[in-house]
Amino acid sequence: MKTSIQEWLKASREKLLTAALTGDDLDRLEELLADRPPTILYLTARSTNPRSGIVGWVVYDPLTPKEPMPLSSSSPYACVLDAVADGWQIVQYPIPKLYEYKDLENDYIGFDFILEKHI
Amino acid sequence: MADILPTLTDDAVMDFIASGYIRLDGVISDAFNRKCTNVPPGPAKEFVGSPDFLREVLLHPTVAGAVRSLLGHNFLVPTGGHHHLFNAPYAGQDWHSDGISGAGYEIKELQCYYYPSAVGIEDGPTIILPGSHCRSVNRDAIAHYGDLLGQLALLVIPGSVVLTRYGIWHKAGPKFTSTPRSMIKFSYHRKSPPKRDWLIESETIPEYVDRPGYTYASGVESYRDLRRRIRTWNWLCGLTEAESMVFDRWRPSYETGVQPVEEITIH
Repeated sequence: MKTSIQEWLKASREKLLTAALTGDDLDRLEELLADRPPTILYLTARSTNPRSGIVGWVVYDPLTPKEPMPLSSSSPYACVLDAVADGWQIVQYPIPKLYEYKDLENDYIGFDFILEKHI
Repeated sequence: MADILPTLTDDAVMDFIASGYIRLDGVISDAFNRKCTNVPPGPAKEFVGSPDFLREVLLHPTVAGAVRSLLGHNFLVPTGGHHHLFNAPYAGQDWHSDGISGAGYEIKELQCYYYPSAVGIEDGPTIILPGSHCRSVNRDAIAHYGDLLGQLALLVIPGSVVLTRYGIWHKAGPKFTSTPRSMIKFSYHRKSPPKRDWLIESETIPEYVDRPGYTYASGVESYRDLRRRIRTWNWLCGLTEAESMVFDRWRPSYETGVQPVEEITIH
């Protein structure tokens, strides 16, 4: 379920304890139900294990124009499973066969997990 | 032309082999830095090739001394360059390498960044990933990376020069200000065969002393880096493959079996 709708439901349940829902509340729900594209999160893990540490991270939001963003020195999640617990869905796992083993040569950094979330 | 004197020690050369960069802070004079203010962006063959640039930057004793240490005597001096000038706020570049990252373990080219003006964190500093020069990648396949553990923003004072191993991953960082961010890029090349003729205390070639692995590298990757660094060190010292193998210098000595079993006596 979309996280933003979960948040709407939680807020609405609390509101119902003291007041009634209004037309504005329903308009907001309608906005949330509109088909907003997902936000994409790349988490580059130290290994193919989703519990391994994160060495790279970036968010791509299709509705946000490309603009300067401050550098960040720590990942928003300690591991991929933490992101999943926060509502992100894995849409692509690293595929070991694509990571050619070369005895002495390093290449790309880490193992990319691609996740998405409707925010 | 007076001979260029090397400035780097064994230790500094080993550092460069591992990190892929050396920063020389504020070495160029303020007077010359100011002369760069009106250099147009784009190809800068005329400016970089000028006698003034040659004297004040390319053959500056500190800059050229480091180059001399890494590329040997009679190295090839740039005759052109490129002025990377950003004025307006800007999202920054994607990660990329200019050369072919990881190509060979020899050091035959140094790509240099000269900053005539100070660059702060909000001015779109160059971001580099130390150690990445050893990674064999397609530059278009690293463009999706965002923040990486161990990335380094080159925050510099005016007149700084950064020497890099060609192929190190880098990008222009995010720029929030309208302060001009100027960087003039040029490359030196090797002409002479490698030889350990930088600043040395003894003629005996020391074994490569490894540096800590980078935070983005896994254990096995750090090990591969070590092996590669040893190769680069041996090559820079002018050791042939046969000489390297005599001392088994392709591998760290602690991994090498050196005692024949028949010579062992157990008491």
